[in-house]
Amino acid sequence: MNLTIARDELLKPLGYVTGVVERRQTLPVLSNVLIRSDGENLKLTGTDLEVEIIAAVKPQSADEGTMTVPARKLYDICRALPAGAEIKLELSGEKAVLRSGKSRFTLLTLPEADFPSVEVGTWDITFTISQEQLKRLLDHTQFCMAHQDVRYYLNGLLLELSKNRLRAVATDGHRMGLSEVELSVDEGTERQVIVPRKGVHEIGRFLAAAGKTAEIRLSPNHIRVSVENVALTSKLIDGRFPDYVQVISSTYQQKMRIERTALAEALARVAILANEKYRGARFTLRPDLLVVTAHNPEQEEAQEEISANYSGKEVEIGFNVNYVIDAVNSLEGEEIELGVNDPNSSCVLQSPDSSDTRYIVMPMRL
Amino acid sequence: MILHIDMDAFYTSVEERDRPELVGRPLVVGGTPEGRGVVAAANYAARKYGVHSAMPAATARRLCPEALCLPARHDYYGQVSGQIRAIFHRYTPLVEPLSLDEAFLDVSKSEALFGSTSSIGRRIKREIAEELKLIASVGVAPNKFLAKIASDLDKPDGFVVVDPQRVQEFLDPLPVRRLWGVGKVAGRRLRQLGVDTIGDLRRLPAWRLKQLFGRSGEHLWELAQGIDDRSVIPDHRAKSISHETTFSADIVDHETLRVWLLELTEQVCRRLRRHRLCGRTVQLKIRYADFTTITRARTLAEPTHITREVWQVAAELLASNLPARHEGVRLLGIGVTALEQPQPLQGELFDGDIREKHGRLDELSDTIKKRFGTAAMRRAAELKK
Repeated sequence: MNLTIARDELLKPLGYVTGVVERRQTLPVLSNVLIRSDGENLKLTGTDLEVEIIAAVKPQSADEGTMTVPARKLYDICRALPAGAEIKLELSGEKAVLRSGKSRFTLLTLPEADFPSVEVGTWDITFTISQEQLKRLLDHTQFCMAHQDVRYYLNGLLLELSKNRLRAVATDGHRMGLSEVELSVDEGTERQVIVPRKGVHEIGRFLAAAGKTAEIRLSPNHIRVSVENVALTSKLIDGRFPDYVQVISSTYQQKMRIERTALAEALARVAILANEKYRGARFTLRPDLLVVTAHNPEQEEAQEEISANYSGKEVEIGFNVNYVIDAVNSLEGEEIELGVNDPNSSCVLQSPDSSDTRYIVMPMRL
Repeated sequence: MILHIDMDAFYTSVEERDRPELVGRPLVVGGTPEGRGVVAAANYAARKYGVHSAMPAATARRLCPEALCLPARHDYYGQVSGQIRAIFHRYTPLVEPLSLDEAFLDVSKSEALFGSTSSIGRRIKREIAEELKLIASVGVAPNKFLAKIASDLDKPDGFVVVDPQRVQEFLDPLPVRRLWGVGKVAGRRLRQLGVDTIGDLRRLPAWRLKQLFGRSGEHLWELAQGIDDRSVIPDHRAKSISHETTFSADIVDHETLRVWLLELTEQVCRRLRRHRLCGRTVQLKIRYADFTTITRARTLAEPTHITREVWQVAAELLASNLPARHEGVRLLGIGVTALEQPQPLQGELFDGDIREKHGRLDELSDTIKKRFGTAAMRRAAELKK
């Protein structure tokens, strides 16, 4: 097999594929990218057995054939070659030879027959969504996912498709992010799936900005997200997501409105002196004023006063300041609405005029 | 200069103060009239018969049958102790309490305000006598070790000042047993060497003491020279919190023991919470009818002051260490060690927040008990006792 391709064409798709390739592998072939050519187009495939990405790319010329070469090494070489370079890749026995200008690299290949493919059942739901909207959903929620939690169903993102809406929910059990978009899908295609962390991160990498759509397919055990020339297939997490509806159905008696950037800046400063491990900060809601204080084990203390719009009663409540910062930074718009009840119950952070995206944070007893 | 202030026969003096008709009679606090438990304190009249604290109540009864035996009112003694400490704090924040009835004070920095250390010592002694009608013995010395010896030297109602220039003269004639760390065994070994007084010990070469007692030998040698450079540490943190009880009759029944243990655990945890502390290691103590005593400990994954969490470990320790057949348990105790400040508790969105709920339950129960007394709220299991 023999192919010639512009370095700049190859770099991006190869980057998506390399993203799923784990640095440490159980099977040697999983370190490799599978390159398949039908004589006109190339398909690059990378997998870790849970998530698979296939990227299509157009070469200047190529024979029919397949080979597998070490993904990360190939990607690193391409990245280090100058922009505008032309790459020739040639299979020679058990090795692949890459030439570009005055550079030459010989890479080991592995038999393509060993390369695993993901077995998906039948796709029973298919719908499309703008890439921009999907990316927003993921960006607004994915940082709330748990990481290596024993409650394995929290180590992923809930996508809930209902009659006229797609909702993304992520939680680590302490805070929760929820974001939704209107979407018209066929009757009877309601579904809840949990996409594992890694799949969520990789999807976010190839979603493009305005104007283009993504196609989402669901089978009982898999999700596939396809855009123009990239398709990601991921296993789903087989588990029951906690009852998030109960969490978002609280009503909040005390509501405060605060200018978002002022709050973000003040919290970033207070956080400097919060306990490095526990991150606790005390939020005191007073008429038209939010006071945030934090101190560390050395008894250094930070205090910020932020003017706000508030006429409720005084409430003092502790939070992990990082959770509040994450939410404030992710929300958009001039103002933020903070809704609280009492120091032991959750609070909500959202934009005052839209609840499309909201964050529920449990307090911390300081 | 350091002050060591030690209340004379504290518990019994408090009782005598409140009930003047008892003055002059031999009096014992702690243990039961049937002669179980241990003596927490004995007044000077009882001490004449050889009764002393930590002695089994039965022995005390044999030595002095006419002694009046009163139950210990620890909460009340604690309150009085707080009043005494308030007097100390008029003169310095550097107060290191050793127990309810004694403390070290470092008043060096207060001398410009209140006069010399010994005049401060006298004022404190007078104020305790006038305001609380209690007698303290006071030791005034250049360091903690000497101050403690001094306060004990002329008890009761003592006031002893150790002149920094004449430390050796003060120490040399005292028996070696006065030194911290010299108990029965070491005392006997020293006597065999012809060492009876601190002076005798001081004249031994340091290497000889090291040879005899290892590293603590060096320490002994330093003490004998009157050297002790430990500073007074205020807010002396408790190392452990424990409660134990001697039953009025030995208990064989497992369930009854469990119920007692639950009540002791609750008391320990309440104290932990009152002091805003969490503990990591739970220790169970069982003394059987034949006086054999075992202690068993287990360490938790996370420090806690939640009754339920300590109780789970305590109950497991009891279940796994109490033999199916035994002759009866005389004493049961539970303690929590490896204490530290509680960490902030992050709330849980989903049902995992049992810990938080129990924390709140404990808090509520403490408030109720504080207001209406410990009998106001009990765990249902305790009703079976």
